[in-house]
Amino acid sequence: MVSSDIGILGYGETLHVKRTDRTLFSFLAEAGRKALDSAGLRKADIDGIAVSSFFLAPDNAVTLCEQFGLSVSWAWQFTAGSAGPVAGIIDALHAIDSGRANVVLCLAGDVYSVARHYRLMENFNHSLYNYAAPHGFGGPNGLFGIIQRKYMEKYGLERAQLGRIAVAQRECAMRNENAVFRTPLALDEYLSARVIADPIRLYDCVLPCAGADAVVLGALDRVDASKRVRVLSGHERHNHLPGEPCPLSGGWELFRDRMWNESGFGPPDMHFVQAYDDYPIMVAIQLEDLGFCAKGEAGPFLDAHELTWQGDLPLDTNGGQLSAGQAGAGGGLMSVVEATRQLRGEAGERQVAGCKRGVVAGYGMVGYGHGLSASAIVVEQGS
Amino acid sequence: MAEGPGYPRPHEDADNRPMLEAWREGRLVVQRCTECGAAASYPRPLCPHCWSDRLGFEEASGQGEIVAWSLVHRPNHESFLDEIPIVLAEIAVPEGASLIARVVCAPGAVRTGAAVELVTDPWRYPLPTFRLKHRNDE
Repeated sequence: MVSSDIGILGYGETLHVKRTDRTLFSFLAEAGRKALDSAGLRKADIDGIAVSSFFLAPDNAVTLCEQFGLSVSWAWQFTAGSAGPVAGIIDALHAIDSGRANVVLCLAGDVYSVARHYRLMENFNHSLYNYAAPHGFGGPNGLFGIIQRKYMEKYGLERAQLGRIAVAQRECAMRNENAVFRTPLALDEYLSARVIADPIRLYDCVLPCAGADAVVLGALDRVDASKRVRVLSGHERHNHLPGEPCPLSGGWELFRDRMWNESGFGPPDMHFVQAYDDYPIMVAIQLEDLGFCAKGEAGPFLDAHELTWQGDLPLDTNGGQLSAGQAGAGGGLMSVVEATRQLRGEAGERQVAGCKRGVVAGYGMVGYGHGLSASAIVVEQGS
Repeated sequence: MAEGPGYPRPHEDADNRPMLEAWREGRLVVQRCTECGAAASYPRPLCPHCWSDRLGFEEASGQGEIVAWSLVHRPNHESFLDEIPIVLAEIAVPEGASLIARVVCAPGAVRTGAAVELVTDPWRYPLPTFRLKHRNDE
């Protein structure tokens, strides 16, 4: 899609915390500094910025530059909810490829909490404010409860199959010092947890928290060969299935063939999947739409694979948002940070052995019934 | 006439006023494009199918069918807390639209495929709201 000489040079991530008196700027700054350190670059090298955050207003990508003392030739701010940060990687690579910037700092994060989550979702857009909140919809939980029940009744999926996602990701989170949940989760606990929006229960939901993530993009020869991560292909799709409130696909299926063709690889070649896990049901749908299994077969597919970092299909190897927490829009970049960490062999106790390439997906912008936006990139070790 | 318990209300504007005015009289109207004939699930300023601005509202039967549903135990607003779980459903109406709407019924009575009709106390609810057509709990 762009010159293969451009890619990810470094990554950074803050702790995820439930409570804080730190500002959003502080979290974004910490993640950005760490990403720069990881790339071995200096502040003066940055001449482009891409930022994704639900609570940055009234600030924006440009006033963030003022805060950080950056003067840039290219500034980008997300749309597409948590599909946005992955889409921002694609846009930033094109910006570098066309000479509009040399080194882009991609930031995503929020000082998020349960209360802020409900306030955000109630007024997330006109259709939710006008036509969902007055029904007591319960935020995305109520909407994805509808999608999950529809899927379960149509395809015979069982909660225990979705539970394999939550349980495996918790095993990974126990080896991630940034995660909010680091104690074991048994399948029985998942199955019998408090009901939130039947059929959705507590461990189907992410915990909103504070935190930020960052990656630095630029010419790969700026870093040691062992640290280079190439982005082989990437695509996005918005407002998939217009007029259908609760579809059982997310939009990845519309670009997946093109994405795999451009990358030169296919699902069986992936050493990990960093899926967007707002809910396990959306991970199941995503695996289908990305082509890992046929539509309706996610249940048996989940049963047939081991999903931890040691398994044959490592999934959300940092614990995902389900166990590491959802730092607002940071949840859409955390997956790219983890992919980069894995491909550089820097994932410590949860390192996937022989990890050469993988796929990262984003999803978000909940509208009238479902997430309107899907995105994905295929990434590979650049050495 | 009883008032609803302080539910959040939609912003009334030029696009949705005919629908909200009809609902205040307990009627459901569905927006339809006079050029391509498509129905829209919530009111828009242009037809989302063909982009025509020649739109009208037509009287709907008030009947529908539950396509899928969830039971919301943690609603977004405190005004719903006395009534949890809220039955939230995707409802297909015969006029050709799919709505997200509340079904007022005993949570144990809701079934996929169940026939629904409009409630008879519209003043209580900010938006068109349904109940089960065949009820054995009343």
